[in-house]
Amino acid sequence: MLLGRSSQDNDALNLNGTVFNEVDSGVEHGEALLRYSDAAVGRTADLAQAREALNAEIGPDAVVDCAATIANFQRMVRIADGCGIPLDPFSRQESAKWRDGLGIDTFRSRGNTFG
Amino acid sequence: MTTMTAPFAYRDTSWPVLERMAAAHRRSWTMLAEPGEWWTGAERISIAAECRRASALVDGLPDPGPGPAELPDAAAFAVHKLIGDLPNVTREWYDETISAEGMSDAHYIELLGVVVHVWSIDEFHRALEIELEPLPDPLPGAPTQTRPAGAKDHGSWPLTILPEDLDAPEADIYGGSERTANVRAAMSLHPDSVRWLSDLFDAHYLSWVEIGAEQEPYRVLSRPQRELVAARVSALNECFY
Repeated sequence: MLLGRSSQDNDALNLNGTVFNEVDSGVEHGEALLRYSDAAVGRTADLAQAREALNAEIGPDAVVDCAATIANFQRMVRIADGCGIPLDPFSRQESAKWRDGLGIDTFRSRGNTFG
Repeated sequence: MTTMTAPFAYRDTSWPVLERMAAAHRRSWTMLAEPGEWWTGAERISIAAECRRASALVDGLPDPGPGPAELPDAAAFAVHKLIGDLPNVTREWYDETISAEGMSDAHYIELLGVVVHVWSIDEFHRALEIELEPLPDPLPGAPTQTRPAGAKDHGSWPLTILPEDLDAPEADIYGGSERTANVRAAMSLHPDSVRWLSDLFDAHYLSWVEIGAEQEPYRVLSRPQRELVAARVSALNECFY
């Protein structure tokens, strides 16, 4: 699903910031969103603190929206990797420009997508 | 383990869960309880229960116990693999799984549909520390064992259906669109799983028609904010796609 983001016309998002904490994603409240995402997916001990930090920055409606987005992609990645779905040729070509920089070519599931 | 009251009321949480989201979760529980094409209602509940057992195992929590029906060993193992060992799901494992006793490609896709939707709703609850909804009572009935005639090899492990190959029974699954994303078509061997996916995708993230269009007013996070979270969750799961 990460490569799926490459097909979005989304200039506001620096993809390097989605993978590397030291890189600014360029997204408003990005740090708090990523901290909450990390805690929810990683089952870390600071889930409540991360959630409260996000709540303090942008409010409870945003926390629910973020939890829903996390839940959505916890589902989508399992569909993608559970079915070995291929990339369309355009996304394959476009993503080649930045895949190596993100380090995702080392993901074992690469073999599922590229066959 | 089961409930007779209306599920997903969200009365005991202070988090402002939208009614449209709660309604989608209730529809999910209705779909979960019904007999499918390849699994009975009781077996579908057992798949959901196994999903919770796998999650508890990963989290080091007590075993919540099995569901009401016995599952083939390969089915139970597949649930645990999809929840707790996703980066090591491979084509070879898929081929072994669908060849095992009591399994087929269609059994696997329906199982995957149950796993990902139950897991997703549970993950929403865990992220907000809301108690998990009890699983519903299974509804009676036999699986119909109906296989879509237009399913073909389009590069995914399971056969899938493109919009131009849809027959009347599944004509609605892509909302009338002439094109579809590979991830949306991935479970089309079991059309109800695509319908389920569309419903929850809309409730949790955005509708397929919203892609490339203006943001719906009830969405709070901006599109870049949601894309940031989406990409991070994908990276944390080491999902290449």
